[in-house]
Amino acid sequence: MSKRSGTDGSLLASLPWTLAALAFSVVPHIQFLPIWATFAFLSCSAWRWQVERKRWRLPPAWFRIFLSLIFFIGVMASYDSISGVGPGSALLAVMAALKLLETKQRRDQFVLLFISIFLIMSSLLREQYLWSLPYLLAGVVLTMTAWLRMSTSSQVSVAESVKTAVRLIAYAAPLTAAMWIFFPRIATPFWAVPIDTSSASSGLSERMSPGDISSLSLSNAVAFRVKFEGAAPPPYQRYWRALVLHRFNGRTWSGDNEASPGSGAHRDIDFLGDPLRYQVTMEATQQHWIFALDIPYEWDLDRTFMGRQQQLARIQPIDQRIAYSVVSHPSFRLNSELSAFSRSYYTRLPENSNLRTLELSRKMRDEAPDDEAFITNVLEKFTNEKYFYTLEPPALGSNPVDRFLFDTRRGFCEHYASAFAVMMRAVGIPSRVVLGYQGGEMNPMGAYMIVRQADAHAWTEAWLPGRGWYRIDPTAAVAPERIESGRSGAMFDGIAASWGLSAPSEFLYQLTLTWDVLNARWNDWILGYGPENQGEFMEWLGMEDPDWRQMMLTLIAIVTVLVAIISVLLLLRYRPPPKDAAAILYRKFTEKAGVPPSRGETPLSYADRLAEEKAALAGDAESITTQYLDARYGPPDLVVIENLKEAVYNFSRRR
Amino acid sequence: MSSIPWQYLSPRTYRQAVEAKAERWAHKRQGSDRPVTELNSRRVYILPTAIGLVFALMAFTMLLGSMNYNNNLSFVLTFLLTGLGFVSMHQCQRNLVGLELSFAGVDPVFAGQAAEFQIAITNHSKARRSHLQLYAGDVNSNIGDLAPGESRIFHLEIPTEKRGHVRLDRFGIRTLFPFELFRAWAWLHMDLQGIVYPKPARQAPEPPPSQSAHGHRQHDARGEEDFAGLRKFHVGDSPRHVAWKAYARSGELLSKQFSGADTSSQWFDFDEVDIADVEQRLSILTRWIIDADRTHRDYGLRLPGQEFPPAHGEAHRCKALVSLAFFNELPVDVQDRAA
Repeated sequence: MSKRSGTDGSLLASLPWTLAALAFSVVPHIQFLPIWATFAFLSCSAWRWQVERKRWRLPPAWFRIFLSLIFFIGVMASYDSISGVGPGSALLAVMAALKLLETKQRRDQFVLLFISIFLIMSSLLREQYLWSLPYLLAGVVLTMTAWLRMSTSSQVSVAESVKTAVRLIAYAAPLTAAMWIFFPRIATPFWAVPIDTSSASSGLSERMSPGDISSLSLSNAVAFRVKFEGAAPPPYQRYWRALVLHRFNGRTWSGDNEASPGSGAHRDIDFLGDPLRYQVTMEATQQHWIFALDIPYEWDLDRTFMGRQQQLARIQPIDQRIAYSVVSHPSFRLNSELSAFSRSYYTRLPENSNLRTLELSRKMRDEAPDDEAFITNVLEKFTNEKYFYTLEPPALGSNPVDRFLFDTRRGFCEHYASAFAVMMRAVGIPSRVVLGYQGGEMNPMGAYMIVRQADAHAWTEAWLPGRGWYRIDPTAAVAPERIESGRSGAMFDGIAASWGLSAPSEFLYQLTLTWDVLNARWNDWILGYGPENQGEFMEWLGMEDPDWRQMMLTLIAIVTVLVAIISVLLLLRYRPPPKDAAAILYRKFTEKAGVPPSRGETPLSYADRLAEEKAALAGDAESITTQYLDARYGPPDLVVIENLKEAVYNFSRRR
Repeated sequence: MSSIPWQYLSPRTYRQAVEAKAERWAHKRQGSDRPVTELNSRRVYILPTAIGLVFALMAFTMLLGSMNYNNNLSFVLTFLLTGLGFVSMHQCQRNLVGLELSFAGVDPVFAGQAAEFQIAITNHSKARRSHLQLYAGDVNSNIGDLAPGESRIFHLEIPTEKRGHVRLDRFGIRTLFPFELFRAWAWLHMDLQGIVYPKPARQAPEPPPSQSAHGHRQHDARGEEDFAGLRKFHVGDSPRHVAWKAYARSGELLSKQFSGADTSSQWFDFDEVDIADVEQRLSILTRWIIDADRTHRDYGLRLPGQEFPPAHGEAHRCKALVSLAFFNELPVDVQDRAA
């Protein structure tokens, strides 16, 4: 074929399937891919298909090299790196596009199908929802069908190919399950996984600048789920501590929330009252913070430490969903003694900022008999005066606390916490802001609590001699229902609104809860199947203290048995039907008679010939022939066959 | 430096050596086969293909990735593909087991043409057999599927060079179904052979003239004395014999037949061909026979120690050509010396 001629159209049968498989595996990436990459993939696919249909020529090599350079630079520019799930899948998508432009032969499509499988895999690395499993299966069925279309002759119907692919995948399913259950899981990764911050979602951030964001979007995404041993604490105790902010520069609160071993903060706590035991399943945040109820006493997560302000943090970021058990004491006394240095540290305020607030605070302190009365007065000020709780407060200027307290008087938890902490510091009461989640909603169907991103909250801690650090939530003074209801209601309204319903219906609410139960089970049993769960499951199966060798041996044994079963199933499917028993017996008879039947001779004429050649056998020959014809061509009857067998057997005896 | 055995550097040499060894081993193990042979599982061999190895590498990479990310869904994907690998191995092997192969003949050819061995493959089972192919050395047959109960003939075109027998001691059947990850194959040793006639000479001297039954020379290859009737025109008939008047009437080309032809005959004598080389002589004889047969003339063949009296027809032609094919089984140079 000369260079000028176009494609020969030999891929017309298999190419659409390959394109479909590729497109299917690209779909979940589209929302993360840069737009140009999606566009490149789609246009190259369409182009390639037209090339095949219209017998055009493929683009020349220089053009493809040029295009691949552009694509590579594009990925580098879009991601600043080429490792990690995001750039990795973008690279795969553009590689598929480029490969399509040089796909000439049947065999080139193998590369495309390999890319398709890797694309499915990278979408699983990114997100693992409940529908990811059916998506994975559909993707494998489609890819394998495309594979079959490519490697079998074109006379096979599409339905046949799909059926074959599904049948083979069905055979492979038990093998998959066995390998999945028994393959030993390891706790620590081989190499550092690049963090994909683009997909991080959290209601919390490391800094707090009330007034910078003028609206807070409430996300219904689950932050974590909690299963309590025993009763759940009442709503006013559901304060999930994550970060503590103790530096204030007039606008922004910040803190030191990195994990560092041995800060000794634990020693400063007197744990009082009954402990609460519970298990948290936390979604990936790409951050270091670990959520626990005030105040955690014990936790079973590796490389997790309590910071100086009693916040928990892990050394490596939470890049995947994790589960951990915690014991917390809702009653506690924190730092009953505070050093002079600490006292001055926690009362530090920037000079020349928020002056009106400072003035007001000092005035109110002077009017109050003591610190506690002052605190009560401040909270009452929030309750009695015109302060409003709103998720869409106006933006604040250079002295945000002044602006908020005296002018706008609208805000959400951060505004109140910040203002309150500043007022405390203004009169020398050590204070700090705590970030975390407040609340949580019990799911009656699953007997666990859901805490959503919308439950993110900020509150304050003030230190008083003898009482230590204790929690004051100024938001509760403004919007007590936010704290008491235990249900933010945001999720509920959001879904109802998106469905165009004004009033939330109970049915929808139930539906949402059921869906959440399914998701929680999915997380616990499938996604969370790690070293611990596997160990428990192995013990449940009767293996005592299984190590990876034992599991591998079990895995090999089970896979061997399953493969043997599959082999037998396939044998049954491909076995020729048993040979005609009557015919076999008849052949034995002719062999014993010593006269081979000639080609095309009917049994009756053979019997006649036998009677002529060996007169002694005439009678037997006739009866056996009659029985044979009966067994072979009459209705199926085992007795007839048995009689024939006996007759043939006796025939040999008498001869 | 022609003494450097370059071929030892090529992986192809080693592959061929290993293949030859494996084939000898298989023959020893299986013995020779009858012309109708059913494949049992003991004689179906299987190895991964290059694509199968890439697939395995991919699965391994995916396993490492899944372990690193501790991602249970990508474990599912990895193990599903691994499982598919296992399944396709067994599926590939079962795709051959139980097939019945039988020799369905090979037509004689002239040396230099390809002998087309016909092998019938029958699928007695109730499942479809896909992507079957016969092969012998570098020769591959067409690829085909067999529906349940179907029987189909596959062709192996074996090139020939010399007259005599073309042998097909061994051929194989293979399949890549379902995913080309594995290649399953079976060797069959049916000891098949076909006949190869000598290569017809491209340029042959004029054949010896026809003679009457009494030994007199005739002035033409075909008698023209007594008009005997008309018959359909055959390619090769002399235009002089075409009944043009009849053609003008009916539009049908007819040839005139003369009764004198019955008594005429040609003798092709090996010893009278004026060429030293035996193979060339045989080639020339072959050319004469083909030409004579095409023009429906009677001809006889005389070989040292063998004689076929003049006659015509397919059977006669066959007999004559076969005797040429197997003329003097001795090697040519030995025979030359004897002469």
